[in-house]
Amino acid sequence: MAQAILQRIAAGDRAAVQECLDKYGGLVWSIARKMLRSNEDAEDIVQEIFVDIWKNAERYDDTQSSETTFVAMIARRRLIDRIRFMNRRISADSIEDVTTEPFTRSDENMQLCVEAKEAAAAMKNLRPEQRQVLYLSIVQGLSHQEISDATGMPLGTVKTHARRGILQAREALGLGNLQDTKEASV
Amino acid sequence: MNENTEEIRLDLLIKQAVYGLTEAEQEQLDDLDIQHLNKHDESFARTAAAIALVGVDQKDAMPAALRSKILADAYELYDAREKPKNAEYEVENNSAVFTPAAAARRPFWDWFGWAVAAAAVIVLGINLYTTRLKPNEIVKVQTPTPSPEQVLKPEQMREQLIASASDLMRVNVGAGNMKDMQPSGDVVWSNAKQTGYLRLTGLPKNDPGKQTYQLWIVAENQDPKTPVDGGVFNVNSDGEVVIPIDPKVKALNPKAFAVTIEKPGGVPVSKQEKVAALGKVETPKAPQA
Repeated sequence: MAQAILQRIAAGDRAAVQECLDKYGGLVWSIARKMLRSNEDAEDIVQEIFVDIWKNAERYDDTQSSETTFVAMIARRRLIDRIRFMNRRISADSIEDVTTEPFTRSDENMQLCVEAKEAAAAMKNLRPEQRQVLYLSIVQGLSHQEISDATGMPLGTVKTHARRGILQAREALGLGNLQDTKEASV
Repeated sequence: MNENTEEIRLDLLIKQAVYGLTEAEQEQLDDLDIQHLNKHDESFARTAAAIALVGVDQKDAMPAALRSKILADAYELYDAREKPKNAEYEVENNSAVFTPAAAARRPFWDWFGWAVAAAAVIVLGINLYTTRLKPNEIVKVQTPTPSPEQVLKPEQMREQLIASASDLMRVNVGAGNMKDMQPSGDVVWSNAKQTGYLRLTGLPKNDPGKQTYQLWIVAENQDPKTPVDGGVFNVNSDGEVVIPIDPKVKALNPKAFAVTIEKPGGVPVSKQEKVAALGKVETPKAPQA
């Protein structure tokens, strides 16, 4: 089996850096643009994300997750920090744009990687409110309060949907067990 | 761990994955993991990452200029790992302190010095152990002789390059776009050795806490908008300074050398708004008919 790109990067293979950018550059760029909604901010942060990826390449464990998920996880960690630092507030104009979520749209041309397809399938099994809250928080980078403002849901309800939604998604993706955490499925 | 503590930990893990934690919350989670010997749980972070992939637009392509910057960053890190001895460079007697920009931006490699120190301690330990077993053996201790690299000053290294490089290029350097700065000097550069020295007089002192000088090489193999980073340096007194040029990536057939003023630590790509000094390579004029 071919060595993963990140393992080759950790081993000092310079060619793997270009391969990593070819494979994951668009992905990281897209995640950043979605969460920050600004190309200028995205440019700054994507550069930082890739520095994180080079530095954390040796941590990658192919028994724990796919390389794609690992890269997305590093990207999200940096993006969440940035959003918190920016103390961003979403404008009223953009609320309609961000509330259109992709999990239920029937776009035949939507090409998803295996991990994304599994996640999309897991999301379809959630209640619509849970799905919406997770989409707004994870894909669009909105805070509890912003989601509450955007959807009209009370803050506590937003938190509950996020918690139950991610617990169920985690179980559906085979990453954890609901019973372990004694979470009610209501 | 009791049920209540587990609930708190679960809440924190979910919040961390979905929205991020405040510093206090992160400390609380770390404490809980330490107290209860939990391995840090990344399952929620991985779940959130997988969900984030659903929103990815496969047609989205990273801008080419950004890709170039990221590649340059990666090669800097590789270079730092391969050439740790060059990570920090001090010039004592000519009043300039040179620090490659990468050194300020690569805390990841900081462990290297500690690793070297640890290795030295182990070697010393082995040495002490073996000498203890052989008490009658006479051990001659020689005072370590510093290597030439440690002793030579930048102006001496410059002279050495001039004497040894068969492909030496010399470029006159003058003022850039800043009216109040009129430096003059030159650059000597060897394409084969990929090294060179900038010698300047008239470059004002800078406040390292506010800004730094950064050297750039406009090279044949690089987009002129993103020249090769040659390192950052500070000037702390008047007079002539000699700055070693430390290209972060290969700089083939330089077309120009520039010194810009940047924020402390330097920048990966300069906007070239404040050019303190500039030297263009003169192309030979075609013979007149």
